[in-house]
Amino acid sequence: MKKPVLSASVLALFLLAGAATAASPGTVLRNEKLYSQPSASAAAAASVNKGAAVTVLTKQGGWLKVTAGRTTGWIRLLSVRVGGGGLASVGVGDVLGAATTRSDPSKVVAVAGLRGLSDEDLKGAKFNAEELARLDSVAVTPALAKTFAAQGGLASAQVKRLPKPQADEPASSWGDN
Amino acid sequence: MKATAPLLALLLAAATLPAQAFDLGKLLEERLNQELEKRDKSKQPQPAPAQPAPAGAQSAAASPPPAKQKVDAAQLGFALFGDYSLEEESRIGRQIAGNLLGAAKLVPDRALQSYVNQVGEWVALHSGRPEITWRFGVLESDAINAFAAPGGYIFVTKGLYRLLNNEAELAGVLGHEIAHVTEKHHLKVLKQSSLIGALGQVASSKAKDSDPAIQNLIGNGAEIMARGLDKDAEFEADRVGMVYAARAGYDPWGLPNVLQDMAALPAKDSRTSLLYKTHPHPADRLSALGDAVGGRMDTVRGKELPNRFYRLP
Repeated sequence: MKKPVLSASVLALFLLAGAATAASPGTVLRNEKLYSQPSASAAAAASVNKGAAVTVLTKQGGWLKVTAGRTTGWIRLLSVRVGGGGLASVGVGDVLGAATTRSDPSKVVAVAGLRGLSDEDLKGAKFNAEELARLDSVAVTPALAKTFAAQGGLASAQVKRLPKPQADEPASSWGDN
Repeated sequence: MKATAPLLALLLAAATLPAQAFDLGKLLEERLNQELEKRDKSKQPQPAPAQPAPAGAQSAAASPPPAKQKVDAAQLGFALFGDYSLEEESRIGRQIAGNLLGAAKLVPDRALQSYVNQVGEWVALHSGRPEITWRFGVLESDAINAFAAPGGYIFVTKGLYRLLNNEAELAGVLGHEIAHVTEKHHLKVLKQSSLIGALGQVASSKAKDSDPAIQNLIGNGAEIMARGLDKDAEFEADRVGMVYAARAGYDPWGLPNVLQDMAALPAKDSRTSLLYKTHPHPADRLSALGDAVGGRMDTVRGKELPNRFYRLP
């Protein structure tokens, strides 16, 4: 008599997907479709608008299974922000007193209470030759990396560069045409 | 890219600027002399063009500087605007990396560092810069952040590493940092800012094995990490890094999943203070990356490798 055995990797994936997205709230980042299957060639079940609240049920590759209102369907992973943050920071930039996105040294202020790597730590840092030598000592050769990849079953794939999106502002009407 | 033509234009432009007395150090002098030699070499063997040259080229050719001219101080700064050689890039990156390691040491776990180097090197082999010797390190810090320095120096903090769930997510994060190097984002910032920074920094504090010439050029190297890059550079690194990880055979959704996890952290989490000063908010990055990806990754399949992922004790 054999016990049913769930392979470790399947179990790990199952736990992972469950842990990351078990019925989390989410916010839709752009006007999108909900599909009946995790595929853009599946039938569209509904449309959702930017800013709509959804409940994220599970994850599969580049897709999230969500409930929006009374409809459940699959939406692209990059069209939803998972978690309770809403659209707050989208297109606003500085709501948190953070997210300074231009290289302006005058905007950098001190951060206290964190071990290592505040901007003050970086400015005051002294060159550490010993640690740099240790860094050199753990570098690996391309040959070793190839062996490592083969052991994990990783194979090189042809993937094209992603073009820069035309519309800079997600809210701009220019991007919708 | 050949730096010769832009340098010519800049040397011509330099003549119109007010002369200033400043000392930018030997590095810049060497640099300019290299450029002058390169240009002389490229000029001599060329036969006269069969077709009329464009106006710009004609005016440049009409005023060739003497081969052994004395280097004018005003020209030195403009040598910066040429392309950095691989050697210069490596020296700059090494100085920044050494300073960064002065702010946070490596996690003293050789198995961890070795694992990250193997993943990183494999992803970097798909980045189109095989001439670079890549080095990867996990920094002993609770902050959630990652850093890249020119010449192939890549760092992830322990705080960020703890957020990761599988090897594909690590590959995505490393891909983003590798992209900063291949797209030369920090070098572009240095070209814009180093002239100003170098003015007041002729005398350097000599640290052991530190590179004074580079220290002059970039100031305290780690400071550039506190300043961050333009947000467009971050969006570009997300696009390029996701592709590098996918080319290496990883699930392409590693980086988006890490961004999702970061976006879900509490807004006031002190571990993300510096990250959010130097990067757009993860929600904005998800949105921008989604604009670029659309359905382009729909047929790409890759591995997540959660079992092989090295978990911190």
